[in-house]
Amino acid sequence: MGIGRSWPEHLDPIVEEFSECFDSMERYELLFEFAKRHPTPLPPDEWEDENQVHGCQSRAHVVCSVDDTGGFLLRCGADAQVVQGLMAVTAIAVNGMDPSAVAQMGPDYADAMGIKTSLTPSRANGFLNMFRRVREEAGKLV
Amino acid sequence: MLVYSPHAALIGGRSFDQCGDDLPLDIEAIRADFPILSRRLPNGKQLVYFDNAATSQKPKCVIDAMSRYYEEYNSNAHRAIHTLADEATAALEGARDMISSYFGTSSDQLIYTSGATEAINLVAYGWAREKLGKGDVVVLTEMEHHADIVPWQQLSIDKGVEVRFVPIDTESFTLDMDALEVALDGASLVCVVHTSNVLGVRNPIEKIIEMSQSVGARVLIDCAQGAPHERIDFDSLGADFIAISAHKMAGPTGIGCILVKKDAMAEMGPFMTGGSMIKRVTMEKSTFQDGNAMFETGTPRIAEAIGWGAAVEWLNQFDMGEIHDHINDVASWTAAQMREIPGIKIYGEPEREDSSGAISFLHESIQSLDLALLLDEGGFAVRTGHHCAQPLMDALGVPSTNRASFWVYNTMGEAEAFIDHLRYIVERFS
Repeated sequence: MGIGRSWPEHLDPIVEEFSECFDSMERYELLFEFAKRHPTPLPPDEWEDENQVHGCQSRAHVVCSVDDTGGFLLRCGADAQVVQGLMAVTAIAVNGMDPSAVAQMGPDYADAMGIKTSLTPSRANGFLNMFRRVREEAGKLV
Repeated sequence: MLVYSPHAALIGGRSFDQCGDDLPLDIEAIRADFPILSRRLPNGKQLVYFDNAATSQKPKCVIDAMSRYYEEYNSNAHRAIHTLADEATAALEGARDMISSYFGTSSDQLIYTSGATEAINLVAYGWAREKLGKGDVVVLTEMEHHADIVPWQQLSIDKGVEVRFVPIDTESFTLDMDALEVALDGASLVCVVHTSNVLGVRNPIEKIIEMSQSVGARVLIDCAQGAPHERIDFDSLGADFIAISAHKMAGPTGIGCILVKKDAMAEMGPFMTGGSMIKRVTMEKSTFQDGNAMFETGTPRIAEAIGWGAAVEWLNQFDMGEIHDHINDVASWTAAQMREIPGIKIYGEPEREDSSGAISFLHESIQSLDLALLLDEGGFAVRTGHHCAQPLMDALGVPSTNRASFWVYNTMGEAEAFIDHLRYIVERFS
């Protein structure tokens, strides 16, 4: 993590790419692209009540575990591409990290990406609910 | 012609002797009555409000009437002899006179509620629980709002009443009237939505009322979506119960009514109990008021009723037929343009002459929430979700739709801008 921010350094190029977007439509377009490039999507046939993130306007599901090397593994999926894209960026950020580091991470990367300004309070709540769920799950894996 | 009682003098801060002739429909002048329509969103875009089936915007006269009540004569109604209480009571009852007259009936057949949902629940708890039991039949349709489904399901659980659903024809998006005829066999109560909040389709309620009453059933019509688009005349229609919400027809949220025929009201027991609705309370028992007073408990929604009275007064300036035609023109043009956009599917026939113009739609590859977000980026307020009509969504085979719904202040210019932005979204994101 860098000084004054809580996201890992390997996320920097992505944060920069979003922050350089001309307007919110370009940011949404980029989120759609990341939705398609999601490294660890959770397919709809694995969506269940237990792994659903509540308080999200979209349907969103999260499954957390550790991989063979003991690194954090986030598999997640949503029906809305905007949410899927946010989840993809989050997965890129946290996959492979030590679970204790994920449990300490903050959602400030969304601010740095310029996404937060596109999120109304109710939409931001959905993202924050998803993020908090990931942190809670990471805390259980420590 | 709307007849005002002397009590109505306080509502507009002035007195009126007669209602005026219908004003011609000057949309720009109408828009000027709505302060919110000039709003720019935080992203700098001009607001285009296409979510009227969820709630309508309010003209300044409604906002001012409610503010004036709180500024000048706020007091509890029916409960004191002092000047403010007298003025508040006069305004509350004056609004009742205006609203009941607007809906073509007498004030003693209007029960104030918090909206159409409470209105329907009042019928479920006040009439149906008194009159219906095991083996009785309540007929609903697949296109009902949850407010007109869940109370009857609860009745079925608690009292053993049978609930039957009349399906829609998913090709024409209309009610299957042959299936209705079959479902009416042995029916005690028939509950039908006047106009679907999803499809915009206006049901043939006059025929449904006739068919239902011919088998001896009482009829409840949910006019929450109908009242903003058509002049509802309770006495002429002949339904036993009509549920209405103020906030979809320029009035404030938090108030509506159930219109009830006198003979049906005589069969009802109280729903909520407590203050106001009693005659005498002792430690042993209580007796209740007669007529509509039995069903209005606690402190009334005074400001809201005054606001609704002002809304009705505002609406009464216009010919509802002209309002409907204008909305239909905007909706029909918009729907026709949308049908030309690759990947867009429309549910319903907004081009129908009697449609409320609500356009429910999906895109084949852009998910509904994404589409609503992207439309909002352009300043366009549309709704996404199941619209409190999940059985209808199941019948249509979709989890949700986007919905654009129009009202009197929407313009063809707004519709053109909406189509341009929708085309742009589809080209860029599909």
